[in-house]
Amino acid sequence: MYVPDVELHEAQSLEEAAALLSRFSPHARLLAGGTDLLVDLKSGRLSADHLISVSRVAFLHGITETEDGLRIGALTTITQLDRHPVVRQRFAALRDATSQMAAPQIRNVATVGGNVVSAVPCADLPPLLTVMNGAARIWSTSGERTVALASFFVGVRQTVLKPGELLTAVFLPEQPGRFGAAYARFSLREGNSIAVAGVAAGIQLGADGRVDDARVALGAVSPTPKLVAAAREILVGEEPDPRVFAKAADAAMDAAEPICDVRGTAGFRREIVAVMARRALTSAWERARGTKP
Amino acid sequence: MIVSRNLLINGQTYPVAVDPSDTLLDVVRDRIGLTGTKKGCNVGDCGACTVIVDGQAMNACLLLAVQMEGKAITTIEGLAKDGALTPVQKAFVHEGGTQCGFCTPGMLMSATALLEENRDPTIHEIKNALSGNLCRCTGYAGILRAVSRCENYRGDGTCTKKADSDHNDSGKGKVGLTNAGPWTSVGVSIPRVDAVDKVTGRIQYTADISLSNMVYGKILGSPIAHGRVKRMDTSKAEALKGVLWVLTSRDVTDTQYGVSPARYDEHIFARDKVRHVGDEVAAVAAIDEKTAEKAVSLIEVEYEELPVLLDPFEAVADGAPLIHERYKRNINTHVDQVFGDVEGGFARAHYVREETFTGNSIYQCPLEPHATLATWDSDGTLVLYTSTQVPHYVQYMMAHILHMPLGKIRVIRPAVGGGFGGKAETTPLDICAAIFSRKLGRPVKMIYSREEMFHHGRGRHKQHMKFKLGVDREGKITAFKSEIYLDGGAYSSFGVATAYYAGSVIPTLYDIPAYKYDGYRVMTNKPACGAMRGHGVPQPRFAFECLLNMIADDLGIDPVEIRLRNAIHPDTKTINEMDVGSCEFRATLEAAAAKSNWPQKYGKLPKGKGIGIASGGFVSGAGYCIYRGQVQLSHEKPREPFVKKSIFPHANAIVKISEDGMAAILLIGAAEIGQGSDTVLTQMCAESLGIPVSRMRIRSEDSDISPLDLGSYSSRVTLMAGHAVSRAGVAVVDKMKPYAADLLGCAETQVVAGNARMYVQGDESKSIPWEEVARKYFNANGPLVGTGCYKPPDGLGGDYKGATVGTSPAYSFGTAICEVSVDLETGKVKLDRFTDYHDCGTPINPMAVHGQVEGAVAMGASEALLEDVVFDEKGRIVNPNLHGYLIMTIKDAPEIFSGLVDSYEPRGPFGAKEIGEGSTLPVLGAVAHAIAHATGVWIKDLPITPEKILQALRQKEQVTEPVPAR
Ligand SMILES: Cc1cc2nc3c(=O)[nH]c(=O)nc-3n(C[C@H](O)[C@H](O)[C@H](O)COP(=O)(O)OP(=O)(O)OC[C@H]3O[C@@H](n4cnc5c(N)ncnc54)[C@H](O)[C@@H]3O)c2cc1C
Ligand code: FES
Ligand code: FES
Repeated sequence: MYVPDVELHEAQSLEEAAALLSRFSPHARLLAGGTDLLVDLKSGRLSADHLISVSRVAFLHGITETEDGLRIGALTTITQLDRHPVVRQRFAALRDATSQMAAPQIRNVATVGGNVVSAVPCADLPPLLTVMNGAARIWSTSGERTVALASFFVGVRQTVLKPGELLTAVFLPEQPGRFGAAYARFSLREGNSIAVAGVAAGIQLGADGRVDDARVALGAVSPTPKLVAAAREILVGEEPDPRVFAKAADAAMDAAEPICDVRGTAGFRREIVAVMARRALTSAWERARGTKP
Repeated sequence: MIVSRNLLINGQTYPVAVDPSDTLLDVVRDRIGLTGTKKGCNVGDCGACTVIVDGQAMNACLLLAVQMEGKAITTIEGLAKDGALTPVQKAFVHEGGTQCGFCTPGMLMSATALLEENRDPTIHEIKNALSGNLCRCTGYAGILRAVSRCENYRGDGTCTKKADSDHNDSGKGKVGLTNAGPWTSVGVSIPRVDAVDKVTGRIQYTADISLSNMVYGKILGSPIAHGRVKRMDTSKAEALKGVLWVLTSRDVTDTQYGVSPARYDEHIFARDKVRHVGDEVAAVAAIDEKTAEKAVSLIEVEYEELPVLLDPFEAVADGAPLIHERYKRNINTHVDQVFGDVEGGFARAHYVREETFTGNSIYQCPLEPHATLATWDSDGTLVLYTSTQVPHYVQYMMAHILHMPLGKIRVIRPAVGGGFGGKAETTPLDICAAIFSRKLGRPVKMIYSREEMFHHGRGRHKQHMKFKLGVDREGKITAFKSEIYLDGGAYSSFGVATAYYAGSVIPTLYDIPAYKYDGYRVMTNKPACGAMRGHGVPQPRFAFECLLNMIADDLGIDPVEIRLRNAIHPDTKTINEMDVGSCEFRATLEAAAAKSNWPQKYGKLPKGKGIGIASGGFVSGAGYCIYRGQVQLSHEKPREPFVKKSIFPHANAIVKISEDGMAAILLIGAAEIGQGSDTVLTQMCAESLGIPVSRMRIRSEDSDISPLDLGSYSSRVTLMAGHAVSRAGVAVVDKMKPYAADLLGCAETQVVAGNARMYVQGDESKSIPWEEVARKYFNANGPLVGTGCYKPPDGLGGDYKGATVGTSPAYSFGTAICEVSVDLETGKVKLDRFTDYHDCGTPINPMAVHGQVEGAVAMGASEALLEDVVFDEKGRIVNPNLHGYLIMTIKDAPEIFSGLVDSYEPRGPFGAKEIGEGSTLPVLGAVAHAIAHATGVWIKDLPITPEKILQALRQKEQVTEPVPAR
């Protein structure tokens, strides 16, 4: 239960981080808050000889408002995200996740970038950021690129990041009027436990109150935060009501590809997905109508 | 590559050399020596390592020390300034916020971080802030009280927060007391005697102790559940730099050890074969723990795999392979008991119901991992520091294993961070550390990782129970039959006793005129199960209480009423010949029902809301010692026939008065493991001496200093050790009396001691200071010392096989009422409230008693809803950690009301009985009943997960939904 012998490198810049990564590849890993990485190293799930810390790279820190949205630096901690005034005012849905994740000691250290890049199926932010139309800002020595989170995750613990690429920030576009998002999560214990199933929902209402667009993304019940196309089809054009939500929730349930483990069987998780989907859709709708903060 | 760093800790700069892989936790503890910060899991699950970094709570086990330069780090040692406790530390002391204390430093750091930002947090905010800190002892109730009332302890008089006093009821007067009170030290809620050391991080647990020249050891456990060791190659491990010795079965004797003398079946290292994942095969000593851990992984072992048995029913089937040759059909213990006319009882019954219940595999999960530090004195005495609840049995077993007299073994029990039965045996750590240390001539420390704790096991037996209960028209029990298969794991451990306990403590609550019990403890390829809080009884009690509630519903009798109709009376000899003395069981039923508004709620709540009831009780100390005969190396003494009396006293105390008479030192080997025994024993001794607690000190940790006490199991300490310490106190006072009489000019028989004075009975104006008399005694005779001891009464129990198990000088009783809300869409249960009333005799320290109840409620409820050690098909534990095996957090724990009914036990010291284990017993059944009431479905196998609830609801829909006509 010890971290194996490693060298730690404090990169001062992105360039240096990239250089170190390529120099020690494939035995190097990027270190952010370390709440995933150190546990994996101690348990032997991962090995590494070199840890490249990016904590000193200023560019990765901070939450900044841009003219078209919010740039969340990759090293933003979950606590910083949870408490940020702009998040509280305009991206309150994020708090559905940030307030329930892990425990304060972890949230004070764990980063948004780490949560996204580690691409663990049960991670809480990815589905929510996905329905909020979030995008990954990716940097490498050859330049920057932006990838919508909807296509960022490719498998369990796998993303589109190529060797030498880093996540610098998650970008969230300004949430349009009459749009609401929400995240509903089910866990076996109230404090410090990971999601058994989580569903994020985003609803764009038209002027007539009907659904113009909708997104439902699954967490913990598929290898990646999967967008449920069938749910969108059911919802779009409809007058939102519990019946429609239930139909969309059933579609979410059908789309889930849960595994069986100690936290629950696949069958149970599917049932829970339907319930969480209904709840997330209802909350998202309330937010879209402005009846819920 | 070692680098140097300046770490700013508690305002002081520490230059340290660190390896980049070192966590802040290891550096703070091992390099800097601030051991107040604890390691409970090492992976972020428990919060015991919480420190404050630049104002924020963080887990030191997940921070790299190299990265901490320039940050302001505060550890528990940095809270109190110039010895003055902070308000929240004071609040923890006075509100029962600490028990074993292992979670306390982390808890306090989280609380401090919160309070620095938010001086007046809501309950919700407190729960959020502490949700990453696990506690296994307090049920979080005392902690929540402490943080929420912290303002009261600021001492600047700016605010006095109103205490919500409605969380407990300590009884009003004493019933039927002839010799009760007025007491000054007994019956009083004083803070724990070790509380200040616990809230400051000063107290030392075994892992916190370092001796010079110390090295470390690690054990290699089997990766497979059943197999033969074909080949072992230790050369790579031996070649690793820093490795001192690799120990295998070649190097040790083949002495077998265990708990029950008739079933010693464990070897130091697997001889012929391994029987569970984690079964010990070798061990390494090295200069540090990390090297030892690495070396262990370099040992190559080749196994021949054997079929794995994980289910007791498969294990007893014809043709199943034997896990031990000596246990035919893999049955380790078979109990076959019949009392009264069982068939007649069922024939006479108006109503009979039979049900099957299944328990779960529960692991105690004390927050402190097991640890041992062994060293040998130059005269050949083994000095063993160990995290144990049974120092004497460790001494006994080490003597047996090492073939040396008990007198040459000194067991030191530093502070213990919880046991709950998981530390009631000699561990492989004790054995290996002693062997390593003898060979190397250096102190050797060994600590289990959280995962190794699960593999060492000794948790609660999973029981498969078929129960049949018959009642007459009034609901009075006519006969009861139980058949239980206990999943024992790979070794006997306490299992023989467990199998008997599973039957013997059932008739101590209700009048059962006819009773048959068939018990089978079966070997399986899992870590051995042992004795856990309530030893063997909680699962059968759960099943019994559920069945009684089902029958009550079937017959339309209120569940409280059916209990009242069957409750036993004081001074009853049960059908299985258990001698019940004091019994206020009915009072617990009535008080709990009244306090919870039961009549207004049962059967009357909306769907999804439920209320449930169950009762329970337990022994106040086992009537007999675990081994037979006198205290002597077991190889040397003849195998002795069983006699129905104690050969030697089970609890022994010495009180030594300082030469100036101003201090009394109480010496007794009773094991303080967090339950508060040091405190209540000090109180009882002070009472009998007639001096205040503030003049007393207790030394209970060292067998060289304190005489034998059998330890903390079977809820025995308050009653048994309590007698020993109060008798020792009386012995001192008796010695002082002639001198007092002389000074007072009265007869010896007229002298009484109290309030630090000695006076003439009936005339308190004629008095002299207590210490003056003590000095006079010393002047004349030298040391003023009193001794006291306790033997359980002779002749306890019947004459049938197994009649000793369940015997006790006294029995406790309790009733718990649980209220829940169930989310009928997800099956998730929220515990709203618990109302518990207990008959523990005289509460020596009501706050400590309530603390035990609160802890038991949370632990029991956690068992009922969340916990289960899960095995895969190859016998590997799927969740040997605190993120897979979930125990309740502060956010899950219910609000708890703990009440005590007035009761006095003539066989107990000051009328006291037990509380620690008995308080667990009603909990499981009450939770199950409340859920059944809320949902309309009974879940009969534990834990009651959301998944099982949903499944049962679906099944019920299918059954009750009208089939549409074609
Ligand atoms: C006790 C506990 C409870 C937890 N509970 C939850 C929970 O409830 N919900 C939840 O979602 N998660 C939970 N987690 C997981 C973890 O805390 C989060 O995933 C966290 O956000 C990871 O961030 P980090 O900064 O600690 O990542 P790190 O451990 O530093 O890194 C994780 C991975 O991402 C890579 N990485 C990090 N940053 C970048 C970057 N900018 N560019 C490229 N690669 C990068 C690293 O190389 C590494 O492979 C829990 C963890 C623990 C220990
Ligand atoms: S030891 Fe760090 S959280 Fe348990
Ligand atoms: S007091 Fe909290 S774990 Fe013991």
